[in-house]
Amino acid sequence: MVNQEEYIASGILELYAAGALSPAEQQEVEQVAAASPEVRYALDEALVAMEGYARAHAVTPNPALKNRIIQQIEDQQLEREAMAAEVRPLYGEQESSPYKWMFAASITLFLLSGVLSFYFYSRWQTAENRLAQAEAQEQLLAQNFNTVSQRVAQQERLVRLLRDENYRPVKLQGVEAHPEANAIVYWNPSQQNVFIDQGQLPAPPAGRQYQLWALLDGKPIDAGMLQQDAQANLQQMKQVGAAQAFAITLEPEGGSVNPTMEQLYVLGEVQS
Amino acid sequence: MSREPQNISEEELVARLREGDTKAVSQLYDMYNAALYGVVLQIVKVEETAEDVLQEAFVKIWNSFPSYDASKGRLFTWMINVCRNLAIDKIRSKQHRVSLKTREIPASPRADMGSDSFKPEHIGLREITEALNPDQKLIIDLMYFEGLTQSEIADEYQIPLGTVKTRARSAIKVLAKMFKGRG
Repeated sequence: MVNQEEYIASGILELYAAGALSPAEQQEVEQVAAASPEVRYALDEALVAMEGYARAHAVTPNPALKNRIIQQIEDQQLEREAMAAEVRPLYGEQESSPYKWMFAASITLFLLSGVLSFYFYSRWQTAENRLAQAEAQEQLLAQNFNTVSQRVAQQERLVRLLRDENYRPVKLQGVEAHPEANAIVYWNPSQQNVFIDQGQLPAPPAGRQYQLWALLDGKPIDAGMLQQDAQANLQQMKQVGAAQAFAITLEPEGGSVNPTMEQLYVLGEVQS
Repeated sequence: MSREPQNISEEELVARLREGDTKAVSQLYDMYNAALYGVVLQIVKVEETAEDVLQEAFVKIWNSFPSYDASKGRLFTWMINVCRNLAIDKIRSKQHRVSLKTREIPASPRADMGSDSFKPEHIGLREITEALNPDQKLIIDLMYFEGLTQSEIADEYQIPLGTVKTRARSAIKVLAKMFKGRG
């Protein structure tokens, strides 16, 4: 603790009053004075002395100076009130607006991107579905076209056979047990080519297949198996050089060496 | 010509200034303008500059009034310090120094006139000058009106620093005796 009497006697208070101290020293004096009434009193005495000295030099300034000063202060005050009322919020807005704007923009973009993502996702899904449908349709069309063109080829072949004088149509008629069955064989004896038009044959049971036979002098000659799925088509069979009749029997899958006569379905003689 | 506080107490004035009452500035000006202007004029020597400094000082006093702490010091002392600091800054600025280079320091041409603006019970400059010896007055004036530090005074006037300190102390003691009970 500072010794008060010594402090007062040091002359620092007078220096303070005369404005001879640095700001740090001034602050120190103020602190000591605040803590000690004696120092405070001595300091005030010194201050009063210097105030008196200052007053002794008093000079009345130009009377116009007062108006200038009051005017400036009032203008400043009005300006400040105006700033507080208008410019401040504007400033605040301007200061934070890039961030606010960016924040708002980022949220907007986020929401927008979400909406757009969903929109484009559903569009993409729709497009995928339509593409799959289109591909399936195209496959179907291609299949249909294949079928049609195959049929056309068959028909052309049939037309060719029918027009070809070398081919003899042999009509196979259903036997007693299968009166509704029929088929046509087109045979070219010189080229030995045989085609079969299956006509009306009941669907064979599982594990069974129709077999064509050529009959020559009472002996059956294997002319090949009938394809089940090519019922409507003209099917080329094994070559046959000479025949008096053709017959179709139902045989186990893969065919038999000799026809099962109980299973004879159709039979037709070659017209000479 | 009464410029002294009379209609209003210092406490009331301080309170009104603290509230930002611009009308209180007018009161403050009336009460202290001559004393403050006198101090500023003593420092800057030129009336035009002194008026500018006083104007600047009042604006500063108004603006920084919230920082005035009545418990730390008297209002008048605080205001004088604001004025002195601005005035001393002014004379230390290069511009002012150049403009004053060839100018002689006038011997307070209006000082005596200024003293007329005080009430009869106030002590005039002549009385003070008679009470202080010239050495004491010089030191006080250099410190108070020129803003010189004691070591600057010692250097410039070839006086030992201890002597400067002693003279400053004794000068203020003389003044304190004169103004005792008038604060």
